[in-house]
Amino acid sequence: MKKTTTLFKVCTLTAAMLATSASYAGSLTIASPQDPGSWDPIDTFLVNWASVATNIFDGLTYRGPDLELVPGLATSWEELDDGKRIRFSLREDVVFHNGEPFNADAVKFTFDRLLGEEGSRGPQRSNYTAISHVEVIDDYTVDFFLYNSDPVLLTKLAGYGAMIVPPGYIEEHGDDYFNTHPVGTGPFKMVDYTPRSDVKLEAFADHWGGAPKLDSVTYRFISEPSTAVAELQSGRVDIVLPPTIPIGMIDSINNHPNSQVVSVPSPTVEALRFNTQSGITADERVRQAMIMAIDRQAIVDSILGGEGQVIASFQGTQSFGFDSELEPYPYDPQRAQALLKEAGVEPGASVQIDVRGNDATFGEVAQVVAAYLQGVGINASIQPYETNVLLNDIIPAGRTGEMFQQKWGGWTFDFDNTAYLMYHSGERWNPYDSDATLDEMLNSQRSITNREERETLLQFVARYTKERALEMPLYSLNALYGVSNRVQNFEPAPDNRVRLTDVDVSE
Amino acid sequence: MAKFLFYRVLQALFVLVAVTLIVSFAIRLTGDPAIMLAQGAGSITEADLERIREALGLNQPFLVQYLEFLKGLVTGDMGRSFMGGTSVSELIGRALPATLALAFASLLISIVVSIPLGIKAAVSRGKWPDQMIRILSLVGLSFPNFWLAIMLVLLFSITFNLLPPSGMEGWQSFIMPAATMGIILTATNVRLVRTTMLETLRSQYIMVARAKGLSNSAVLYKHALRNCSIPLITYFGLQFGGLLGGIVVVERVFNWPGLGTLAFDAVAARDYPVLQGVITVLSLMIISINLLVDVAYGFVDPRVRKS
Repeated sequence: MKKTTTLFKVCTLTAAMLATSASYAGSLTIASPQDPGSWDPIDTFLVNWASVATNIFDGLTYRGPDLELVPGLATSWEELDDGKRIRFSLREDVVFHNGEPFNADAVKFTFDRLLGEEGSRGPQRSNYTAISHVEVIDDYTVDFFLYNSDPVLLTKLAGYGAMIVPPGYIEEHGDDYFNTHPVGTGPFKMVDYTPRSDVKLEAFADHWGGAPKLDSVTYRFISEPSTAVAELQSGRVDIVLPPTIPIGMIDSINNHPNSQVVSVPSPTVEALRFNTQSGITADERVRQAMIMAIDRQAIVDSILGGEGQVIASFQGTQSFGFDSELEPYPYDPQRAQALLKEAGVEPGASVQIDVRGNDATFGEVAQVVAAYLQGVGINASIQPYETNVLLNDIIPAGRTGEMFQQKWGGWTFDFDNTAYLMYHSGERWNPYDSDATLDEMLNSQRSITNREERETLLQFVARYTKERALEMPLYSLNALYGVSNRVQNFEPAPDNRVRLTDVDVSE
Repeated sequence: MAKFLFYRVLQALFVLVAVTLIVSFAIRLTGDPAIMLAQGAGSITEADLERIREALGLNQPFLVQYLEFLKGLVTGDMGRSFMGGTSVSELIGRALPATLALAFASLLISIVVSIPLGIKAAVSRGKWPDQMIRILSLVGLSFPNFWLAIMLVLLFSITFNLLPPSGMEGWQSFIMPAATMGIILTATNVRLVRTTMLETLRSQYIMVARAKGLSNSAVLYKHALRNCSIPLITYFGLQFGGLLGGIVVVERVFNWPGLGTLAFDAVAARDYPVLQGVITVLSLMIISINLLVDVAYGFVDPRVRKS
């Protein structure tokens, strides 16, 4: 009798072990550089929130790695009243992870919360202020009433603050609880969260888009790049999310038999912007000359290892407002010298370049820029600042040198998000320039709902800023993912929001 | 004695207030957390920022914020992280044991290695084992700990795949970070043990012990080591405080879920409450160690009490 029990125990144990190894086959570990601290969609603007949360929540619209806007929780929508009202038809038979049904009330609750008191304590609200209120028409139809039409609104509904949250759950448990125990309608549900350490997700089989292939996903927060790469190479991490991997580590990842770098153009662009008010850069010809003095393709090839594209205006190729016909200034040191002479700049004139001190790659870029400027007779000194000091004190107060580093990019991939903030008079990031023509164009594009018309205008803005040489556009950067060879069907997302529904692993 | 104790505690409290005041003030000079939170928010306005600041309690004058913080300390509430509102006590409660465990493990490695090596060096003074040990300890001292950490990871995690490169998941996770800290401590400690041992070996009671005909090991381990242990224990104890400071870099490389990582991330995110909390706990620990040492001296030595 005793023997049978032991045998039985052995059998169950083996079965249990088989079961664990089977579930292990469908699990994935991802390294993310930062814990956003709260999983509530209205609390944060961190891209590392979105890379996890895109698997937990759904929006009314959805935008995947191809950047096409497709139906999400809304199956269709139509613009009424000259774009002042949008009617959404909602998907039926959708449930939240806690079993609560998704319906028009959930949509209304989400936006009342975002635009109301709870939302005003966080950074997300400001992005949705075009919305006046949401009205429930019937269980699966809602109307969004807008103060003014917002051409980017449908894109904004595909991410961040517009993620639909469960009313019953939040009312029952409160906002604080929701921060650490989020519930959405997404393909994965959160099962465990240890602040500053890791977060575990499990497949939500009832997802309206079909059950994910993976059983579970663990995100580990690892901020040090070399540590994340070591975890990848030792096989304990399957995907390293951007922005983690520095250019210098690409070769070591690709040379390892288990891993490779997968890259995709990201919305992030870099420029050296000019002080257009004082110093030699107040002269448009000098600014143009300085741009022509730099071989930017050489910088992309040698310092970025080819992981970037030279830009003509302050946006990448995927940006709405990008114009493929707009050529960057050519690399032409002779013409640059002629322009400098015309502007009366003596050889030996000096400029200061302000950079973020902790950005090693850009430090190299700045040095190469300085060397090229030397080639046309301009002495450039590089002034590194602590990033936050540069962003919070130096730039907004207009205390920069003649040139300063600006790294920019928004997940909406809309040039408005860059152009308005960089060029409109009085904006925080525009301490020096004031141009009535630009202001007018920037204001009017915000109320145009016709896509083509608006695109033409944004392209014109780009052309105008290029001609005035308001900045030295450098390059757009690729997003670099470190991926283990066991990962299948992985598609790198330009905006870091990797939805894992189709991803699988092989043993 | 009561008066001495009273003044020492008062002094310790003063140091604590001074440290937290300086830290709270200094971090507020380094940037606005509201802007950090709103980074990437396209159309954020000054009014939006003001609302966020209000929600974080940053719209009040510095002294009011600081008094709030002190009031919280007394009631055991260190506030909430700006990053998601997790309670600071909870974060520290999770990180502190991890840091302490790592510090103890490092100290343990260093003691276990440095005592036999130090004694060996002292006994064979001037001969080749002594020279070897001294050269090795010099090499150990010259390693920057982040470099050593990365080399260990390359060797043991990537090349041989024996140890986990980061995290805290079991005893294996302790080996590399504790060894990194331990090797550098050992380098100093070996020299310390050697010098102390040499001094002790010159004293008269050792000569007496030898004259009695005791075996060499009995003289060394029973008499000499015991007498050495008083200065050594004092030194190791004080080292513990310094260890907590030096652990930040090692924690970061090994992604150790301790106070160092917490503080590092808090600085990067301008998370004032978390940083204030970590600094307060660390300084409280160091101040308490010093206070205990002082009070212990006071008990032992009447001269200290009176002055």
